[in-house]
Amino acid sequence: MIRFQATYFDGQTSKAQAVVVGYDGQHLSLHSADGNIQLRYFLKECVITPASGHAPRIIKLPDNQQFESGDLNAVAALEVEAGGNRGMRAVHWLESHWKPVAGCLAGAMLCVWAFIVHAIPFLAEKAADAIPPEITRTVSHKTLSVLDKRFFEPSELSAEKKTDIQNLFQTIADALQVDFQYQLAFRRSPQIGPNAFALPAGIIVITDEIVELAANERELASILAHEIAHVEKRHGLRSMLQHAGVFFVVSVLAGDITSITSTAGTLPTILVESGYSRRFETEADEFAGRFLIGQGWGTQPLQDMLQRLAASHPDFPSLTWLSSHPDIQQRIENLRKLEHSHIP
Amino acid sequence: MATETLHLPTQSLPVASDQKMAVSSRANAPQSGNIHPFEFTGSAGEYFRIWMVNLFLTIVTGGIYAAWAKVRTRRYLYTHTRLDGQAFEYTAKPTAILKGNLIVGAGVVLYFLIDLYWPTYNLITILALYLVMPLLIYKSLRFNTRYSSFRNIRFQFMGSLKESYKTYLGLPLLIPLTLGIIIPYWAYRRKKYFFDNMAFGVSGATFKGAAGHFYKIYGLILILAVSLVFLYMIGFGLLISQLQGTMKSMDGFGTSIVYAIMIGYFLVLLVITFMQQYLYVRENNYCWNETNLGELRFQSSLKVGKLLVIRLTNLLAIVVSLGLLIPWAKIRRTRYILENLNIITSSSLDEFTAAIEPDESALGEVAADFFDFEVGL
Ligand SMILES: [Zn+2]
Repeated sequence: MIRFQATYFDGQTSKAQAVVVGYDGQHLSLHSADGNIQLRYFLKECVITPASGHAPRIIKLPDNQQFESGDLNAVAALEVEAGGNRGMRAVHWLESHWKPVAGCLAGAMLCVWAFIVHAIPFLAEKAADAIPPEITRTVSHKTLSVLDKRFFEPSELSAEKKTDIQNLFQTIADALQVDFQYQLAFRRSPQIGPNAFALPAGIIVITDEIVELAANERELASILAHEIAHVEKRHGLRSMLQHAGVFFVVSVLAGDITSITSTAGTLPTILVESGYSRRFETEADEFAGRFLIGQGWGTQPLQDMLQRLAASHPDFPSLTWLSSHPDIQQRIENLRKLEHSHIP
Repeated sequence: MATETLHLPTQSLPVASDQKMAVSSRANAPQSGNIHPFEFTGSAGEYFRIWMVNLFLTIVTGGIYAAWAKVRTRRYLYTHTRLDGQAFEYTAKPTAILKGNLIVGAGVVLYFLIDLYWPTYNLITILALYLVMPLLIYKSLRFNTRYSSFRNIRFQFMGSLKESYKTYLGLPLLIPLTLGIIIPYWAYRRKKYFFDNMAFGVSGATFKGAAGHFYKIYGLILILAVSLVFLYMIGFGLLISQLQGTMKSMDGFGTSIVYAIMIGYFLVLLVITFMQQYLYVRENNYCWNETNLGELRFQSSLKVGKLLVIRLTNLLAIVVSLGLLIPWAKIRRTRYILENLNIITSSSLDEFTAAIEPDESALGEVAADFFDFEVGL
């Protein structure tokens, strides 16, 4: 026998009426002191709504009636008798204890970490393979035309210089046995300064400024090899897809799509994505480094080039080639290590 | 707080007799009545645990639990909001919200695919979104009010779809034509759409607010924004000329500019936060105070300064705790907003009647619920 006090609402009016609720093992009965309310239902016919914090519990009766009770122990006992609601009872148990909640925190962090570090890059690589080349081509041309409008002016390099670079590029591409059809695009950009970009379909943009910055052909070759690596390993498409993946994770974590645009969503997104781009830069540096070692030049040309680029961008970290300033020293260090590991 | 005992039935009866006394004294002061404050009994610890469990289960189920999480969060906030000893109730089914989430999710995937494969059609998808937005807002308002109840009487949203299109599609189109002059009027119409169309059972609310008041609110914001931009430009100009005089090396000059920009960014953030809170408080107070539910009136007495302090300390706490204090912040803000809302009525809260409403179609059950409308309750 379970007995407790409750407030009854008939569902027709907002009138609150005090009742005493009793459970005899089969029926739930409600009685008011003045005798106006005399109700009896099978417990099966009633719905015990899930618990929430320390709020009073609400039990739904047939015909839109319900009662509310602050006697949480009694309602919990009734809930056990009724047997249903297992899922939500488990959730409420989790919500009511600190230790499982700490477990949830650890579990959530682990899942997010694993997803960001392993699952997103893996899925993005698979998806990049599935995207047809025509799409890649249209996207690349579109991107180039956008960049042309906003940042670039026509190149002022002499025709001979361009031919020299074309030839240099061809030798590198032949030596690397590349899979893509490449196209070199020469542009001048006082706004961006010395830089080079690789677009997914094999368009490699180099600025006049970086050609002028390179001290010799080897340094220029090191940049071209680095950009070829970005194309061959589909870094462009993969980072686009990874961006979509991060967008998904942040939207799940934030609980809805609209909050992505808010500042709270931006910082973690930037951090995660700079991590991804660092990984791609390292990969491209290694690729270029191996090519240089294979040519018998060692990794010195790329190291020198990085050093020069860092010096030419004193304060403002630029995108693509230099993702951030302190990284440059790390990248140079990596190239040095790569060269040492190749010495027989 | 006495809230733990207030809900006991034996103690809710004396409240009713108090009200009878208020009725007899009403003849002398027609404006007065019994004041019933909203109470909020939620606790940061409990809400944190719910939030954490929600987060974990949502991640583990790949986002599916998000619908249940939303219902549990809402239920927590509703059931810990009390008025005259009784709690509010949120009764939406998670499956309806899951349907809504799936539709929105499919829409987002479609958008990404179109963006990737047919970038030229991007504009069409954005246009389509604008066209369905009023429908989604209308659905969302209907859904959330329909599944909110108090004393086992449902709330209802009586606004029409046509009105939603006028308010959320028609008026915004006129903004550029009128050089933005109708922006305050638009804000007024959006609030009116909500407050004038709410109903508790058969009792519909009436909103007596006027557009003029919104012009006052937005006028002050405009003056503030203009003077801010002005001050910022002067400050920045002064700083640069100062630096050019003292700094010889370009390197140092660059770093100083970075710092200046950062400080400027925080100042702008501070002022924007102030404007947001100012707008929220002024609009919220005005709208509640101008709304009637039959003979029942509302009274909202939020203070801009207090809400601003709460917002700023909340932001600081969230950043310092790497997001772990989000639930604490939410509870703190909700408590302040609700505890400054009262209802004033000379009759008892026992006398509202439920509306007889047909059950909505399966499509109507889909929650188009992803804009967080901040309307209080
Ligand atoms: Zn690179």
